[in-house]
Formats: sequence, structure tokens, C-alpha cells
Amino acid sequence: MSLNMDRVASAFTFKGGMLPMTVMELTSADPEQIRAQLAGKVSQSPAFFQHTPVVLSVEQLDEPHLALERICAVCRAHKLLPVAVRGGTDPVKQSAWALGLGWFPPQEARPRAVEEAPLAAAEPQPDEAEASSTPAVGRIYRGTVRSGQQVTAPEGDLVVVGAVNPGAEVLAAGSVHVYGPLRGRALGGIHGNRQAGIFCKELHAELLSLAGNYKRLEDIDPRLLSQPVQVQLRDDQLNISSLG
Amino acid sequence: MAKIIVVTSGKGGVGKTTSAAAIATGLALRGNKTVVIDFDVGLRNLDLVMGCERRVVYDLINVIQGEAGLNQALIRDKRTENLHILPASQTRDKAALTPEGVEKALETLSQEYDFIVCDSPAGIEHGAQLAMYFADEAIVVTNPEVSSVRDSDRILGLLASKTRRAERSEPPVQEHLLITRYDPNRVTSGDMLTLEDVREILAINLVGLIPESEAVLRASNQGVPVVHDMDSDAGKAYADTVSRLLGEEVPLRFYGYQKKGLLSRMFGGGRR
Ligand SMILES: Nc1ncnc2c1ncn2[C@@H]1O[C@H](COP(=O)(O)OP(=O)(O)O)[C@@H](O)[C@H]1O
Ligand SMILES: [Mg+2]
Repeated sequence: MSLNMDRVASAFTFKGGMLPMTVMELTSADPEQIRAQLAGKVSQSPAFFQHTPVVLSVEQLDEPHLALERICAVCRAHKLLPVAVRGGTDPVKQSAWALGLGWFPPQEARPRAVEEAPLAAAEPQPDEAEASSTPAVGRIYRGTVRSGQQVTAPEGDLVVVGAVNPGAEVLAAGSVHVYGPLRGRALGGIHGNRQAGIFCKELHAELLSLAGNYKRLEDIDPRLLSQPVQVQLRDDQLNISSLG
Repeated sequence: MAKIIVVTSGKGGVGKTTSAAAIATGLALRGNKTVVIDFDVGLRNLDLVMGCERRVVYDLINVIQGEAGLNQALIRDKRTENLHILPASQTRDKAALTPEGVEKALETLSQEYDFIVCDSPAGIEHGAQLAMYFADEAIVVTNPEVSSVRDSDRILGLLASKTRRAERSEPPVQEHLLITRYDPNRVTSGDMLTLEDVREILAINLVGLIPESEAVLRASNQGVPVVHDMDSDAGKAYADTVSRLLGEEVPLRFYGYQKKGLLSRMFGGGRR
């Protein structure tokens, strides 16, 4: 059966999707205890708390009633966006709906390893299962990186969807990709990875560096400026070539 | 509840105070109850530009330290109804400007006014951060030159991270770009960045373009904000800016190259 009934003036289509989602497995129903733990986590990895959608799993809790509204408020205050609740009693389901949240039935017979994984392990990347098979986890930053700001991917690649302005700095253990003008400083392979590269749509960089080898704006062939380029390390020299 | 607008830039001397005075006056002329606050402790000059320097008794810091009430410190503008000025202190220590004190003053003013315009000091330190912290909207004043654009970019980064709205993950501070001291002739000769250059780097909504104008100098010497001079290009440009702030669509003017001789002949005097 097609859900796309009105072909002429269709406002949307329904599609099945599998999105990676962080599950916050609650082992306490006490909003204050949750708040205290979240506050600690935010200072450890602030990058994770960027309006990240989470599913609140209450499967491990025995309480028939939960202070769901307060728990959600605590999450939001720490830039986590609860989108749904998983498990719990019927009153929990009703209050989830009343709060505009979705409800998922409890997951049965879940593998022990996941059940016992502490929250911290699931933190940096929602798709935990895939993350363990891919050794380095990258970071995607959307928006302009402005003067004085520094955006780092301490493991893996950094992808910037936007401009890197003069006076800004982008760094990655792996490669740096900038889908926009690169006007600031870009440093790839900051832990010494010599395979790392720098890629950008428009080269105006103040500084390019790969595994500690660098070129300043002054050293760059002016014909390459404003061009889409890739930068690779060859015999301790930065090699810049046009992608256009 | 008042809308709190900070006029900020990072760099000094770009036209923040001129703009804060003109925009606050413009808002009041359009019937909005408006107060303009000088956050530039030590370098106060908003009162000069507003022409009320001889009527200053108490200032923002007196209010914050509980030595005077808000009503004692607020100065009523002589020319414009609905407009008040809250001056800064010239002598007191900047450290007296506490976040709690500022918050309390703003909260009280919020009950009374439609707009609170905060004239920020230069820099990116304590004073500038405090001026922007409680803002709902920010007017980022930028001159078409590399160092000013760089500083504005820096300020935009702070607006996105160091404000109450950012910290509470509320909807972000609404950012407006105001380009001032724009001289089309110097842009054409390559001495200044073009309008497009500035917009491309800062990538925020342009709320106004104020030409370099003698009328500004004349206005601040007389202590009459330049929007009162509606014959001048700068006065008109600030009035347009106020309209856009109020949500109206107004076409941009004063950005084209001016052929000096010809225009002077046609309009008898050219730019004032
Ligand atoms: N559009 C303009 N045309 C000519 N002079 C201007 C203009 N805007 C500001 N100025 C002048 O520039 C100087 C600095 O302006 P001011 O508003 O005090 O800047 P800020 O508050 O950013 O330090 C003042 O002398 C002012 O008269
Ligand atoms: Mg000033």
C-alpha cells in the first residue's frame, strides 16, 4: 500500500529510517542525582551536549511513577533533547505522551554487554556498535568557525560544513575537510598521522599544517588561492594541488 | 517586557556610541519607550553624544551599588519623548559592574520600557561581555576594514557562547550587522573592503549601512543624535536601520560610488 496517496499535491512522504540514537539508560529516577552526573559529563565532553537527541530508557527502574517532566528539564538544561521514552509502566507511557514524547516498548533479551555499558562509554558517539569497528571517530561541525574559536577532532577527521574565518583554528588527529572557504588555520594529523590531508572548497588559509609540517599563507603559490584544493604530506613537504 | 539590544563591535572607534545614540533615539521617535545605557565605565561618552552631560548626577554604578535609585539616575531626553539615558561612571572601578547588579537593573527597566539599548565598551573582556550577556538582539558595528571585520567575527563567536541565551540554550541572540563609516569612493579605490566582502565573512543579516558623513561629527559636537538630522545621509541611513530593526523592509541606499563633481553640481553641495 502506498502512503503517498495524493500524487498531485503531496506535502510529504513517509519513509522508514534507521537513525543512530543515544539511549540514556537510567539507573536512578532521582532528577538531582541525574543532574549531578550530567553536570560532570558536560565539563568532560562539552561537544557531546549540543542538543543531542536521546531516548530515555527506564527499563532498569522499578518505579511505577516517574518525575518524567523534571528529568526531561534536567536533560534539556544540559543540552540533551529527550525525544522518547523506552520501557516503564503504563502511567510512564501516558506521561511520556502527555509531554509530547514518543514511547517505545522495552527491549527484550538485550545482550548483557550493552546492558552493563556505562553511560560514559556510549557518550561520544551514538552509534556505539559501529564506532567500535571504526577505530577513529570524527566530528562534523556545521556553521562558521569564527575568529578566536577553535574546533578540534581529537580522534579522526574533522568536517566543517561552513567557513573557517581568519583568526579561527581547526584541528584534527586525522584529515580536515572544509566545505566552504578556509581563511583561518588548519592543522591535520596533530598526533603525527602523516597520512592525514587537508581539503577545502576555497583556499585562503593563514596556515596549513600536517603532522607538524607547515606552510604559511606567504609560502602558498598565489595561483592556488581561492581554489578548491587538497593538501598532502610528501617527503616532509606540504604538497598543495588543485581539486578543480 | 523590553527587548534588550546590545550595540557591540570588539574594536574601538567604529561607531558604537554614535549608533547606540542614533538607534535609541530613532526607536523613541517611532513611539517606543526606550532607554539607552552606557556600559563604557571610565570612558563614558554616550552622555556627550546625547547632549545630556551637564545633567548627570548618578550613574549605572551608583544604581548597582544601591547608592541611588534607577529613577534618580535616569535622565530624560530633552528633545525626544519616551527616551531616557542611563549614564556610565567616569570615575568608578569597572569591577563594580557586577552581573547580578546589571541583571537586577535590567529586570526593573524591562517592566517599564519597550527597548533597552546597551552601548558596549570596546574589547572582548569583562565590560563587553557583561554588556552583551543579557541581550536578546545584538547590533554588531563594523567598519569596512580587515581588523574591524576580524573583531566583529570574534564578537559573534562570543554572542553564540557567552550570553545568557547561549548558556540556557534558549533561542540564540538575534545578530544584526551594521556597517558604519562606509565610504563608497574608498571602496572603489580599493582602500576599503566592499559591502559584499564584509557580508560574506560575517555571514549575518545586514540591518544597515551608514556612510562616512560629516553630519555625524557635527551631530556629536552638538550633542544631538544624527537621526534628528533627516536631511543628512547618515540620519536617513540610521532611520532606515531603525525601520529594519522594527521588521520593515527598506531598500539599501548610500552604497554606490559617488561621482563627486557631478553630484555636487546636481544637488548643490552633495553629501552633507
Ligand atoms: N558614519 C560616520 N561618519 C563619520 N564619522 C563617524 C561616523 N560614525 C562614527 N564616527 C566618528 O568616529 C568616532 C568614533 O565613534 P564612536 O561612536 O564614539 O565609536 P565607538 O563607540 O565604537 O568607540 C567619533 O569621532 C565619531 O564621530
Ligand atoms: Mg563608545
